[in-house]
Amino acid sequence: MTGGRVEKIDRKDEIFLPIGHYAIFNCKNNPNKIQPKISIYGLGSCIALILFDYKNNVSGMSHILLPKSRQNKTINFPHKYANLSVKLLIQELINHGAMRKNIKAIIVGGSKIFDLDENFMGIDNTKAIKQELEKLEIKIIGENTGGSEGRVVIFDTNDFSVYVKSTREKDFKKLHG
Amino acid sequence: MNNSVNIKLTQDQLDMLKELGNIGSGHAITALSKLVSNKIEVSLTSADIIPFWKVPELFDDPSIDMVGIYSNIPFNSDLAIIQIFTKESIISLINILADDDRIAVEDLKNIDDLDDFSCSIINEIGNILSGHYANAIADLLSIKLIPNVPKIAIDTINAILDGIIAKYAQISDYMILINTKLKVSDINIEGTICLIPSISILKSIFKILNLKYDLNL
Repeated sequence: MTGGRVEKIDRKDEIFLPIGHYAIFNCKNNPNKIQPKISIYGLGSCIALILFDYKNNVSGMSHILLPKSRQNKTINFPHKYANLSVKLLIQELINHGAMRKNIKAIIVGGSKIFDLDENFMGIDNTKAIKQELEKLEIKIIGENTGGSEGRVVIFDTNDFSVYVKSTREKDFKKLHG
Repeated sequence: MNNSVNIKLTQDQLDMLKELGNIGSGHAITALSKLVSNKIEVSLTSADIIPFWKVPELFDDPSIDMVGIYSNIPFNSDLAIIQIFTKESIISLINILADDDRIAVEDLKNIDDLDDFSCSIINEIGNILSGHYANAIADLLSIKLIPNVPKIAIDTINAILDGIIAKYAQISDYMILINTKLKVSDINIEGTICLIPSISILKSIFKILNLKYDLNL
């Protein structure tokens, strides 16, 4: 269950994270000394889950599509689902040298783009992630969720700063860092 | 990458879906061309089975805001038609049908920026296109398909598609998209009409058409 890791860094030291994928960095152990930015352009009902341990300089982000995985199916992209992604991303961080008690979370996304009665995916996603984080006792220190606009999120693994811009805003807001 | 949740379609089945898309979009585009009294250039319809995270790549530049018109079609399972237009197209259409300059492209950021009349024009265009599309394939399959009133959103393509991907990629890592691109050069209209069948719809369609299906799920 480790499908969907993105390691490719483009020329501008940026990693684009597609839906259902994740990226993880330990900047101390990084031989190339590259500290990339991880970004998602156009978050709708999806959620960007950002976890980091700044003391040990480990950070990760996942792009979550759905609140819950279905049982008894082979799952190739666990980070598609909130319940699995939260657990796995924490585990990955620890595997890369993070201390569990230092891990902090930031969540971005979960908006409702089409005005449909049935369209609660964004809200459900946000709820599911918060529940899971609470269960695992990870503190959320930054949040930008809900609303009816898409978002761009950029996470700088260099200084753990998070920048968010909604579709109709001109400039990025600093959410953390 | 290991992908065990897979959809396997034969070339025949894919061709059949393409033909379905051709017939549907053909009717929809004929209706649109009457509306704008202009010739519309149409690309060949493509039927793709693609991983859910690559769906936005089928459309244009992800950084530009587009107008998405989403019509759900009630049937025994999920089926939808989504139309994606550039903002310029929507404004051209409004100008053609309302006969004056109601709004400039740079002022159109949100669906609320449009007055009621312009909104109902877009709604009506969405209705006409999805209605004709659905009607044509319903005739072919001898079933009843009546799309719901369309919903409109202006946002980046990724954000528009997120909720739709969430709905259709719940049981599989793959989605089926039947895409037709259209263009009217003279009046700057450019867009895509896309039919998205769920996997169980696909099964019913193949059953009706008496094709063997092998959907490995």
